[in-house]
Amino acid sequence: MSITAETAKQHANDPAVLCCRAEEGTVLAPSNFEDPAIFPDLIDSGLLNTDGALKLGQVLNGSKLTKTVDSLTPITPDIIDKYDELEGEEEAPAEEAAPAEEAPVAAPAATLAPVVGGTIKLHIGEGKNIDIELPAGLGGGAVAAPAAAPVAAAGAAEAAAPAEQEEKVVRTLSRRHLRIDKVERGPETKIENHVLYIEDGIEDKAVESEKLVQSLKIDVITPDKYHTYSETIMDIQPIATKEGEAELGEGVTRVLDGVLMVVSGTDANGVQIGEFGSSEGYIDENMMWGRPGAADKGETLIKTEVVIDAGKNMERPGPIAAHKATDVITDAIRKALKKVDESEFEADLEEFKQVRRPGKKKVVVIKEIMGQGAMHDNFLFPVEPVGTLGAKPNVDMGNVPIAASPLEVLDGCIHALTCIGPASKEMSRHYWREPLVLEALHDPELDLCGVIFVGSPQANSEKFYVSRRLGQMVELLDVDGAFVTTEGFGNNHVDFVTHIENIGKRGIPVVGFSFCAAQGALVVGNKYCNAMIDNNKSMSGIENEVLECNTLCPEDAVRGVAMLKAEMAGEEVKAPERKYNVNVKTNNLELIEKATGKKIETVENEQSLPMSEKRREKYD
Amino acid sequence: MKYGDKIIRVEGVIVEVHDGAIGIDLKGRLGYLEVPLRMVISDYPFEVGQTVAWNMSFIEQEGPEVDEKYVSRLNIYTQKRRDIAAKKKDKEED
Repeated sequence: MSITAETAKQHANDPAVLCCRAEEGTVLAPSNFEDPAIFPDLIDSGLLNTDGALKLGQVLNGSKLTKTVDSLTPITPDIIDKYDELEGEEEAPAEEAAPAEEAPVAAPAATLAPVVGGTIKLHIGEGKNIDIELPAGLGGGAVAAPAAAPVAAAGAAEAAAPAEQEEKVVRTLSRRHLRIDKVERGPETKIENHVLYIEDGIEDKAVESEKLVQSLKIDVITPDKYHTYSETIMDIQPIATKEGEAELGEGVTRVLDGVLMVVSGTDANGVQIGEFGSSEGYIDENMMWGRPGAADKGETLIKTEVVIDAGKNMERPGPIAAHKATDVITDAIRKALKKVDESEFEADLEEFKQVRRPGKKKVVVIKEIMGQGAMHDNFLFPVEPVGTLGAKPNVDMGNVPIAASPLEVLDGCIHALTCIGPASKEMSRHYWREPLVLEALHDPELDLCGVIFVGSPQANSEKFYVSRRLGQMVELLDVDGAFVTTEGFGNNHVDFVTHIENIGKRGIPVVGFSFCAAQGALVVGNKYCNAMIDNNKSMSGIENEVLECNTLCPEDAVRGVAMLKAEMAGEEVKAPERKYNVNVKTNNLELIEKATGKKIETVENEQSLPMSEKRREKYD
Repeated sequence: MKYGDKIIRVEGVIVEVHDGAIGIDLKGRLGYLEVPLRMVISDYPFEVGQTVAWNMSFIEQEGPEVDEKYVSRLNIYTQKRRDIAAKKKDKEED
């Protein structure tokens, strides 16, 4: 496949290799050359050896072949009449590239942020009949950049700005915490002396509320019972309610500490609801404790086991019924929580301020949520935190982009039906503690203007439809940079990279977050996918069936923020290694630590969980 | 894996369509595959009878060992299904 003049220019420092047979006397033009993006695979498979080859940039100045040669022949000095000498130092191979003149003041000389899919040159968009072939294992690098350089550059820009503008608090959200020591059953649902009583027989009310629900069982799982078998965990939810007339995302939210709602269930034949995202098994072995979306060790789980009509586990109403029936119980607790006297709560409120910082780099967080149907769905903007009442499923809203305030996100504006796979899906609780929103909100150098949720529909045509709307929305926001996150992997990666393209082509720096590693490698890519964060934590880079293991964590948020700052400051983000390598992430974290002087805590992976010796042998 | 890089094109026919998944018969009765929708890249609404294609390699056994964790999970699952079936039968007989 020959290349265009533009591609040849981009690859001026890559080896020049002929794409087709060429006759003696041919004056070399870009159309004679093979795309360097595919070289690594050819080299791996032994089809190509580029040792001693001249660079593309050296042979496009009227060089003429002195010999007839076959396709895939690297151009060496002995088969052409003339070639240009290498130009200057900056023409050195990419690995050594240090754009010193761009950031002369920066202490860590180069921006070292490798990228996922930096070598992929695929453009999806309006093409037809495109056959895409990409090497496996593509797109697995994690990335970040030292913050010092961008900080310095940003600092200079601010100094030039008219005047230092003041921070503005748009709104505040407070959480009033109530510790729960014990969960018991009783004649009515109430909270007394840090004990939560759940009404006897509330199960019947929950069952009656939904046609499809045949039965519902409540298990109270205290820490000593973590080694209990559970059906697939469909969701983990905080229990919270708004105080007084406050609306979601502002005012005071009352929240129970030490206790969570967990939705689980099967259909009447015993088949898991959301069979594919199945995480059934012993809870202690199947949950990555402490992840933003998971339970923390020590918390009590109020787990419902919902049985729905046979065969409904894969139909849209099935998972919805299981969630709504569980919410009947949660809602009873919310009502009880509203009645608790203020004196019983912890004295200190946890406060979140939505701060706008005019004059700083304006950024937006875009979260791609699933919208393919059935359990690939989310309830948006309920009346109560993580409730169902008043909420609309994003599938019904056509998956179009919808704006939210960062505080709405932290106040449970998403009730996630969550789908697959268990290790990378984002539970409702994930949004309650969303690390990227928190990091961007609290960063004094960023002006976070809001969060956009965009669904991921099934058909490609719909994916491109919502993606174009998202691009337009980001354009009118006039942001300096954007984060795009997605959960899980599969066809959502098609719209994920299209979102990045639609933002990137408007000249807005964008950083993408996804689980990729070995198993979830991106199926497509484009030239704007140069700054990517891999959420992988698992040892072997796979969907390891451990709930929430590979979701976005604070350490990923820190890397993403540093990378976006670097991009906005015009720094180069370095290309990743071809295969997923966790050292990239470790190196980047070290660079950030060095530049900021702050220690970044990294989370553990599935290796810390109890697991059978055989499984360890098999997977890791 | 010893043969992991031998990729072959496989074709199939959609035989089941659910809101969240499709079932595919591999052409030539070579197996059945049920996958969640998000693992399928599609341009049109799914219908029974549409054909699909993908690349895969043969499945290789990793070794003779048995992972007890999966066995215990499977046992719980099959026992549960048996109980449910028995209950249903009792009901019918009543």
